[in-house]
Amino acid sequence: MIQGLVQLFIFQALGELVSKFALPFIPGPVLGLVLLLAYLSVRGHVPAAIDLVGSGILQHLSLLFIPASVGVVLYLPVLQANAWAISAALVVSVVATVAVTAGLLRVLAKKESTHE
Amino acid sequence: MSNEFQTHLPPISEIWVYLSGSPLLALVLTLSAYLLGLTLYERSQRNPLANPVLIAVVVVTLSINLLDMPYAKYFEGAQFVHFLLGTATVSLAIPIYKGFASLKGRMGVLLLSLVAGGITSVFTAVGMARWLGVDASLVRGLVAKSVTAPIAMGIAERVQASPTLTAIFAVSTGILGAILGRYVLDALRVTQWWQRGFALGVAAHGIGTSRAFSVHPEAGAYASLGMGLHGIVGAVVIPQAVAWWF
Repeated sequence: MIQGLVQLFIFQALGELVSKFALPFIPGPVLGLVLLLAYLSVRGHVPAAIDLVGSGILQHLSLLFIPASVGVVLYLPVLQANAWAISAALVVSVVATVAVTAGLLRVLAKKESTHE
Repeated sequence: MSNEFQTHLPPISEIWVYLSGSPLLALVLTLSAYLLGLTLYERSQRNPLANPVLIAVVVVTLSINLLDMPYAKYFEGAQFVHFLLGTATVSLAIPIYKGFASLKGRMGVLLLSLVAGGITSVFTAVGMARWLGVDASLVRGLVAKSVTAPIAMGIAERVQASPTLTAIFAVSTGILGAILGRYVLDALRVTQWWQRGFALGVAAHGIGTSRAFSVHPEAGAYASLGMGLHGIVGAVVIPQAVAWWF
């Protein structure tokens, strides 16, 4: 378990370093993700130690954004004042996003299969 | 009052001062609220409305209010949980890598749809919010809301948006997507599992993905891929786009 955790931390740290000194506009953990993805592609499989810890953390991913989300207490007044407009924007946006992504996927996949 | 225990026990206020000074209280509060949320979620047959984060946030918020604990004090303890967000983001490479295995040469089609979906997500949310006159301080929080929360919060810091608002909007988007997604997909007559799953992952990230997994494994695999790719592409493109647009 420790082995997997250490490897994940190393990729996270490498990502932070690359972000700090080379690509400041991309968050460090995302660069760590890309580096790990490259490493997995080179290895050709997911090492058991990384799989154990990584999949374990991801299983409870939603636990990790509770501390930041509780900060909502600081925004309650402004959120309440804009509740309806925000809800409308979120609903319209998610419906449109699902529709555009799936719709385009369906059209493109159909085109591709008729070419074959 | 000559009870033997009384002489050994310090007064309750002293215990309280000690407890609230250590990070343990915030940690226990966060973890037990999450466990409660998880239990209620399982009990409700994984109804997206009984989202564990939503339940946990309500429980923690009420508790710290009751305990008269300021948010900064709570976060001081809870930051140990918060720190793992970065590690979790790195771990997202695992489902993405596994998703690549089931691609069967669909990468081009998937990427095109992802970019179209991502652009739609940002423009509709920000456009609607501005049109409805939403407070400008909130609008920036909407920019990354379709990206998975750990990455969205990283993006938020780069576009001078509040990570908290971004997380709240991301979680709300996930819940809405998990509830409304199937109606949209049925209305558009999208029947292929991989297409349904991918769209849910792109639009509603982790919560949409867990919804997709509960419907069909192929939908779930493609949803993880959609969520992961949207995270990477979003982290690269969104800060640039915001710098140019706002």
